[in-house]
Amino acid sequence: MTLHDTPRDAPAVPSTAATTLDTLMPGPLSLAGHRLGTPQRAGALTMVPISGPAYPGIVPPRRGLKLARVDGYGRVELHNGAADGVAIVPLHIGYIQDAAQNHALCRSAFIAPGQSLMFDDACCVQASQGGYLTARDQWFFVLPVELRMRALQLRGVHDYAKLWGDIAALNERYGLPARGHLEQILSRKRPVLTQFQSRIELQPGQLGAVFFVDGHLAGVELAPDPEYFADVWPALVCFAYGVAAWHAERQRRAKHAPAAPVAAQPFEATTLSELRAALDRDRAARIAQVADWLADVPTGPLQTTEEERYLNLRLSTVTGPHLAGQVVTDGDRAVYASLFAPWPDRTAQ
Amino acid sequence: MDTPTLLTHLESHAVPLTLPRGGTLRWDDADLHRAAYTADPEGYALLGLTPGVHPWQRARVLLQVLAASQAGFDDATRATLARVARVLTLGLPPAHVITVLLALRRLRANHKHTTRATLRFVLEHPDADALIAARRPALRDCFEHALGKTTARGCARRIADGDTGSDYLQRRLLRFLTAPRHALTRVPALYAAAPQTGSTPHDPVLAVERPRPRPGTVTATNRGDIAATLVHLYRGGPAEELYVALGRYLADAVAAYPRFQGTVALVLDASASMRGYGDREWALMSQTAALRMVLSQICERLEVVEVGGEERLPRGATDLATGVLDALAAGPDLVAVVSDGYENLFPGDLARVAATLPRIGVTTPVVFCHAMFTATDDLSLRRPAPALPQRGFWHQDDFDALLPWMFGHCAAGGPWLRAALRTRLDALDRQAAQIGGTAA
Repeated sequence: MTLHDTPRDAPAVPSTAATTLDTLMPGPLSLAGHRLGTPQRAGALTMVPISGPAYPGIVPPRRGLKLARVDGYGRVELHNGAADGVAIVPLHIGYIQDAAQNHALCRSAFIAPGQSLMFDDACCVQASQGGYLTARDQWFFVLPVELRMRALQLRGVHDYAKLWGDIAALNERYGLPARGHLEQILSRKRPVLTQFQSRIELQPGQLGAVFFVDGHLAGVELAPDPEYFADVWPALVCFAYGVAAWHAERQRRAKHAPAAPVAAQPFEATTLSELRAALDRDRAARIAQVADWLADVPTGPLQTTEEERYLNLRLSTVTGPHLAGQVVTDGDRAVYASLFAPWPDRTAQ
Repeated sequence: MDTPTLLTHLESHAVPLTLPRGGTLRWDDADLHRAAYTADPEGYALLGLTPGVHPWQRARVLLQVLAASQAGFDDATRATLARVARVLTLGLPPAHVITVLLALRRLRANHKHTTRATLRFVLEHPDADALIAARRPALRDCFEHALGKTTARGCARRIADGDTGSDYLQRRLLRFLTAPRHALTRVPALYAAAPQTGSTPHDPVLAVERPRPRPGTVTATNRGDIAATLVHLYRGGPAEELYVALGRYLADAVAAYPRFQGTVALVLDASASMRGYGDREWALMSQTAALRMVLSQICERLEVVEVGGEERLPRGATDLATGVLDALAAGPDLVAVVSDGYENLFPGDLARVAATLPRIGVTTPVVFCHAMFTATDDLSLRRPAPALPQRGFWHQDDFDALLPWMFGHCAAGGPWLRAALRTRLDALDRQAAQIGGTAA
């Protein structure tokens, strides 16, 4: 995988970025044909798009996956209503629903066409009936990266209240009441969080992304095809990684609030053509900086544990010191991946 | 002062004119108004009619026009100033006009055009009876300042004695009026001993701003006819029927605008966020496309640089800086960036490019037109180049103020602005005449 320069006249990127990203994937997984695009940035959040060959036969979440019912606390049933195509349940998906507590799932899964699957290890994300997440466009969310490691560790644990303590701690760190209500962030901060969907824009043909928050790797997301990725995009950019970025921006403003607006720094140029050249050089430097971030990601052994099979597809859990999550593979080809970095409390940094 | 700066001031500086009892007139930006009037009396007066100018600034324009001498002006300029004054005396809240007239008294301005405008307001305003009842002492002061105290009281005495058209009355009072018969009842009312009654009518009798009924809920299709039709086209509605309607709506929209004899380069943000999603899908892009269509009809030459995707297929990220550089290559008189303000491909570049242009001798003005969903959008994260002149728009009606603002930034826009405002004055003056005729 190489960092591809999509903007016109943008300079080439150090090739070290390519090999570094490959090391983030577990084992011998191949991302042959996949390419990194031009980074986009919005405040503290940087997104590097991934494009590449689509893997056919996977039903996209919006079209195929429906919340069938919530059968009491901690039990959520999903249904694949598509006529054909297996559904890969996005990792750490959370559902918003009227008249019931909102839940998130701790793991991914396969659901064959026409089948339903009960997740009895779901976690409730409302400690009490404090109000519901508003529906509208975000029919589902993905747990914020700050909670994902813990949620992954708690897969298979049958205790609907298992994430309340972590949610309460997260709320407290972010200056909100220390309660197990994820809605305090997702719903009350929704106007600013959903802006990430416009501040960072999905690219044509994009089927994955690498997310950085304040220059630190936050996650690597890969979908089977662009339609699948477009379905999970709002949940990823607004909630999975947008929450950490929102908090980082708040921290940044609190620490470095300028007394007056800072004037933009002009480029060193005396003609329009020199200005173009200076712009290109500056952009190349910023692309190189993102490549450096990738190169600086600590590497180490990733342990892969197979969890489920569907025909040739394997769903595995990945754990390592710098990255964890779940991947779906077909042989050595990565079909789906949702990998995230352990997200420490950077408040004090 | 250049036109855009003056226009921005007229739209944003909302401090009222005040007349402290026993003190001097408080007119905090008098120097600015005097300088602008001196530089171009007609252009200044017309600028006061631009949509979006604050009523208290229009009151200042009225004050400046009535306070200044017109010695040396040609007949055409005098006529324009008189028409602007007539429109403003009917198009401002009456209380604002009374403040202006009392300010003229403080300033001891007693030109013929001052007298004429004052007398017509006091005696011929459609709400004159209610105004006199509510503000008798103030209007009597205005009346006496206009004619001189002795003359005013002489006229009042003669009318009280039954004079309806003597040579004295004709020369001193009635010749200034268009409907002299009103003076025969209203001058006595000014001097009546009755106490003040009622309240000053608040609303102007002439609508200078186009009435803009606002929907309770803004949707993608209640933001003007052109954008609504485009939304249905984008959604795949019946193309033939919609295109026919689109042509009609566009013709209606551009009919009021003169031709811009220059080149506009439009940097059109066609990124994914301009399409939007959910209830707001297509809202921003449709209004942006409506602006593009209007500009294509009124500009001698329109160069469009699409950024991201295309109008019909908005996608990808937003590179506004390169868009501006590409736009400048067309040698335009004006570069207008139309975007929702989310610059995510190398954010900060637009601001840096805009800051560099003057340093390398590029004087082409660059303006930023903010595509918004409603007038109350939170733009705090959507200002990619705060130093650029910027203005938002969300409804087709906003073009009335947006276009003068845009063209006002370039030299080639001067004639357009004057022509557009003259057309506007003609329309308002016709309405004023009808109001006057009705009142008479």
